[in-house]
Amino acid sequence: MRYGLLLFLALSAYGQVTYQDLLKSPSANWLTYHGDYRAQRHSPLTQIDAKNISRLAPKWTYHVEGANRLEAVPIVFEGVMYVTDSNAVYAIDARTGKAIWSYKDQFAAKQAVNRGVAILGDSVYFVTADCYLVALHRNSGAILFHKKFADIGKGYFASTAPLALRDRVIVGVAGGDSGMRGFVAALSPSDGGELWRFYTVPAKGEPGSETWGDFDTQWAGGATWMTGTYDPELNTLYWSTGNPWPDFFGSNRRGANLYTDSIVALDAATGKRKWYFQFTPHDTHDWDAQSIPVLADIDLQGHPRRVLLHPNRNGFFYVLDRLTGQFICATPFIEKLDWAKGIDASGKPIEIPDMEPIPGGRRVCPSVRGASNWMSPTYDPVTKLLYVPTLEECDMYTASGHSPEPMKDLGGGGAESIAKEPGKFYMRALDPATGARRWQYPMTGKVEMWAGSVSTAAGLVFFGDDDGSLVALDAVSGKHLWHYYMGQNITASPITFSVNGNQYVSIAAATDVFTFGLVQ
Amino acid sequence: MRRLLSSTYNVGNCRFVMRFIFGLTLCAFVCLGQADQDAHARKNPLGMQPAAIDAGRGQFVNACAACHGANAEGGRGPNLAESGRLRRMTDDQLFNTVRRGIPGGGMPAFPLPDNTIWQIAAFLRSLNTPAFLVPVAGDARAGSELYRKAQCGSCHMIGGQGGFLGPDLTDIAASRTVKQLREAILKPGDKPLDGFAGVTVTLKSGERVTGIAKNYSDYSVDVLKADGSLHLLDISNIENIQFAAKSLMPDTYTHLFSSEDLQNLIAFLSRQTVRPDTRPDQKAASQEVH
Repeated sequence: MRYGLLLFLALSAYGQVTYQDLLKSPSANWLTYHGDYRAQRHSPLTQIDAKNISRLAPKWTYHVEGANRLEAVPIVFEGVMYVTDSNAVYAIDARTGKAIWSYKDQFAAKQAVNRGVAILGDSVYFVTADCYLVALHRNSGAILFHKKFADIGKGYFASTAPLALRDRVIVGVAGGDSGMRGFVAALSPSDGGELWRFYTVPAKGEPGSETWGDFDTQWAGGATWMTGTYDPELNTLYWSTGNPWPDFFGSNRRGANLYTDSIVALDAATGKRKWYFQFTPHDTHDWDAQSIPVLADIDLQGHPRRVLLHPNRNGFFYVLDRLTGQFICATPFIEKLDWAKGIDASGKPIEIPDMEPIPGGRRVCPSVRGASNWMSPTYDPVTKLLYVPTLEECDMYTASGHSPEPMKDLGGGGAESIAKEPGKFYMRALDPATGARRWQYPMTGKVEMWAGSVSTAAGLVFFGDDDGSLVALDAVSGKHLWHYYMGQNITASPITFSVNGNQYVSIAAATDVFTFGLVQ
Repeated sequence: MRRLLSSTYNVGNCRFVMRFIFGLTLCAFVCLGQADQDAHARKNPLGMQPAAIDAGRGQFVNACAACHGANAEGGRGPNLAESGRLRRMTDDQLFNTVRRGIPGGGMPAFPLPDNTIWQIAAFLRSLNTPAFLVPVAGDARAGSELYRKAQCGSCHMIGGQGGFLGPDLTDIAASRTVKQLREAILKPGDKPLDGFAGVTVTLKSGERVTGIAKNYSDYSVDVLKADGSLHLLDISNIENIQFAAKSLMPDTYTHLFSSEDLQNLIAFLSRQTVRPDTRPDQKAASQEVH
């Protein structure tokens, strides 16, 4: 029986990854950070279902030596999995967990978390912490090019999984908590040369610069550290932008601080802005808009709409028209929300006065980590629900009494958890048409999780919980079906894929990649 | 490419411990969260000062040689000269390994003064300096021509051009010392590098798959062919696996290359890195490493 489960045909990773493959993902393959361009993270695979999930068991574990916080979403193409850590890529046989090749940039000038690779043609792309785009041959790991796209001397570092389109690779930058000027760039897949760059913060004199007062916008933040989404029909990218800098000290950057804490819709061909929507004008609570902009087609009051769904860090769940950026609606998706009464008809928050951080500290809800953060939600087009990892928490926000120095000082203040008022995570199922909560699954843990979710056509939702377990719930009811305790904090989102007809579920925990499949 | 396929293993009986290609053990960098993680990593305040290296050599003999050998080439403890693992350690990690030891790993803690530990660290670094960081004699342009004429690119790649069966050389000067480059050419040795063992797999269907074994276990083998295709094979489908007796790298270059040729080739290879060349002016270099 030893080989009873292994009646595979020989698998040959011959074909290149085409744009058509990317459009079809996820299926057997999982080819982008979000699984698909829309970030629905909904897989058509049905082999693992509610009836057989009791037979879901570990198949292999891949230990990433030296890792302590893996944040990568594994990418799988024809049986080969690619996972990243700081300045490193690992290619693994997805059936067995055996290493095929690895790459480590040991001379990178920075260390940072890394969220994964993009794949196109024969190339696997990832960013080093010191802002190089590296292309590696997907089968051998050979370096095809290594090209700088941002200068760490200007406050940048990189952690984002790149996004491969038909003929370009899109990257973003991090560093917005210590001063830099955010941008999104399209790079050539063949040599990493820059095709266009969109700055998320205008230069002095450009439209939007009037929202900064006299502030020097070269340090204004607006980082782009999460992979965006893409509508192929509209050839439009949707990219989130981070907080204005200094995070907690806003008195010297008077105005709305465009285009921070926003979604910017960009023409993928040119990088020109089509529209923007700012969630939190003049943010002083570090509420980056880095929740994933999920693209979905839903019925709203009897009319089909092409929308963008965004459970924002500021506590409101937004629905936007993704053609125009028009605000449709917003509803609170947390109970602990006290900085705004609601959202007005134009999409602007109705703010409650005196909620800015002060030197002595001020309690504000939600916390600095936000109602949801970069952990991936999933949209199930069958149940028509958005599953959102949600945090109920308040923080004590403080502001420094002076403006901090770029690249040296963080944020101009800070936020601390309140000991008597511990936070709590939930998985919540939201109805995008109404904003109503259908069910929730409370989690017990250390309030440290950063894990996202994936749903399947078998009616399952997998996610990492706050205690270090991979959990499966019934997508309709939220009922617990299965879990596996990994003994590690989870800081990444799960995926599902299949090889030779066998479905697997994988997730990177703190130091290891775990992969599960059905046992007979 | 020469294929030396002489030793046959029966499937299921052979345990072939594959680590990672290129002998890469993986990073031990500490990752502290979402933020830039460099803020608190210590760097050696002595840098690579010659005086510190000399002093470190003496300190090493006093404190470390009993286990690691007088030349740091290993004994009871591992070889620390030309150690890929040591090269990948940060200064901070190197310092802490000496100061705290490796609990459960056999290495005791050494409560030496900070300055002494930094001297030892400088000495160990000097034994592990990658080729691109030291001046190298020879004519790199002539070495490039030799690389072409000797058809090194039939097995090796540089910048995406070349073959798949040997290690990628695009950044080889960052992962090898000059001494290692020289030895890799002259004495490829009997044991292939992990992930580069020549192999021919005969499937039960009769198909043969020949290339290098990226990994091998009792249950599966992944073979990269010369055409760059990767074949993920299951033992249940395999009739026979035949490994090459020795490295696929020819061992004839000692006879084929003059010493000048060899130096030129090493000069060429020592420039193969994706990182900027920060060496002192080659012509002005007073200390050449051969």
